[in-house]
Amino acid sequence: MAIVLEKVVETFYKNLEEGKITGKKCTKCGAVEFPPVYACNSCGCWDMEWVEISGKAKMHSIVMPAPLSSKPEYKALGKFAYGEIELEEGSRLNGVVRGINKKKRQEILAKGQLPVDVKAAIYQRDGYKTVVFDLVEE
Amino acid sequence: MNQTKVNKYLRSVSIIGVGCTPFMYTVDKEETNGLTDGEMFGYAALKAMEDAGVNPQDVDFYFHGEASPLNGSNYLTPNIQIANWFGMKGKASIHHSEACCTGYYAIEEAVNAVASGKYNCVLSGCVEFGDGVAVPGHPYKREKMTMERFLTTTAWLYDRAYTRSLMAGQELIYDDAAEWYKRTRGITDQEMDDTLNWMCINNRRNASKNELAIERTPYEDIAKEKGFDNVMDYMRSPYNPKMGDFLRAGGLELKCDGAAAVIVCATDMVDKYMGNKSHKPIEVLGVGCAAVEASNPHFEVRATEEAIRQVYEVTGVKPEEIDLFYANDFIITSHLIAAEIAGYLPYGEGWKYICEGRTAYDGDKPINTNGGRTSFGHAHAASGLADLYEAVRQMRGEAGEGQVKFTPKTTMLRGYGGAQNICTYIIRTID
Repeated sequence: MAIVLEKVVETFYKNLEEGKITGKKCTKCGAVEFPPVYACNSCGCWDMEWVEISGKAKMHSIVMPAPLSSKPEYKALGKFAYGEIELEEGSRLNGVVRGINKKKRQEILAKGQLPVDVKAAIYQRDGYKTVVFDLVEE
Repeated sequence: MNQTKVNKYLRSVSIIGVGCTPFMYTVDKEETNGLTDGEMFGYAALKAMEDAGVNPQDVDFYFHGEASPLNGSNYLTPNIQIANWFGMKGKASIHHSEACCTGYYAIEEAVNAVASGKYNCVLSGCVEFGDGVAVPGHPYKREKMTMERFLTTTAWLYDRAYTRSLMAGQELIYDDAAEWYKRTRGITDQEMDDTLNWMCINNRRNASKNELAIERTPYEDIAKEKGFDNVMDYMRSPYNPKMGDFLRAGGLELKCDGAAAVIVCATDMVDKYMGNKSHKPIEVLGVGCAAVEASNPHFEVRATEEAIRQVYEVTGVKPEEIDLFYANDFIITSHLIAAEIAGYLPYGEGWKYICEGRTAYDGDKPINTNGGRTSFGHAHAASGLADLYEAVRQMRGEAGEGQVKFTPKTTMLRGYGGAQNICTYIIRTID
């Protein structure tokens, strides 16, 4: 497949506006890049196709926001934490997970529950939509 | 994660001279207020040439590193704008920036240039005005960098397309490594907090012996002044507040102004360049590099693992051969995790070494003997070469009161920055 000069980023955000969370899947090895990029970081193939992400994911680490690591606009998220997210499709990324405060983190760690189930959600920021995750409560 | 096979150099390259300014808040003192880029870089460059025993005309090429030249110096191409200052007019040069890793890539670039055979003798220098930024439209005036401006410009370090939008990568820089260490090593919150505090205390003890360091008052003295009998009580107090999930104020860099430089040459030409200088050259055995962008989980850890894997593989050096260790620690957790990944401290035990003071300059496993970024100061690009300056002084036995209790022969230095470039290298004294 020819290498195409393509507006991947704009398409990703336009897909969010339409309610779809999308990545790029390698046609050679099947790895999914999320967020989407030109080439596969697992095998190097640049023949990639758009795929919709299921949203199912696991959170492997939990870091709480603090004075250095937060911004006034993040207040709209409610209670949240940062952490390593593994999508059902295999991609791993740093993400925001809503529904976790210090007490909830303590509960999760005390019960040895990591990784915990989370679910991707589309979140409205100032001027565009992005992707966050929600803790899946049992 | 992708890996790189690094090949051996085509010829050996050695460090023959180093230079460094004091790290300082230039604007705060009359004698330093108004210092310019040419004066700072030029001083470090000429000190390195003097140390090496070379004349500027002997040097074939220079590299210039500055993390944020537009912000700090009102320059876009700072290598050429200072080109008349240190006797090398007409010689070629290039500017590079890898943010806080710049001073480490300064070695990678210089060594490659000589190892390839193109040049025989190269200068690599870095300068940064992290505290006193240029006033546009004036030839030498500077003004204090506000925290608002600093945070605005450091936001440029992160990918605009996705990372800033996803809100996590840029915020995890402060605490991700501490969370990773605590979870994977199975230590408690209190043990992690104590370890972070002891790194600050050890760094400050080291800096107290270093005349170029920006903050030299030991924490023990500060604690007493504030009415604490026990330094750890002070470190856990509101005087040292939590700024991150784990990180306290004392574990953050002291951003400041400074410059440092190094001269490298082909090892088989050392006698020609060094003339009657008596110090031993220090060979650069190898350099390992990796880059893991901030949207990737544990980006500092993963990039450090790969860079250190490379440098051990290409040099054949074993972790037990490392006598002295430096790690860029603008987030102080870095020096713990880098030292363990390098095998300089044993897996899962490094935090104990730190809490027992064994990593201070007079311990058996010294780290950051100049005081690191939290006490020596952090002039962003220049800090990496300031680490090298200190390592060379230690390896020559010239570190004065701060000299480690033995003569280090082999040293590893690990730089990181720019969320995250990693560059790590091993140097060894030639007998």
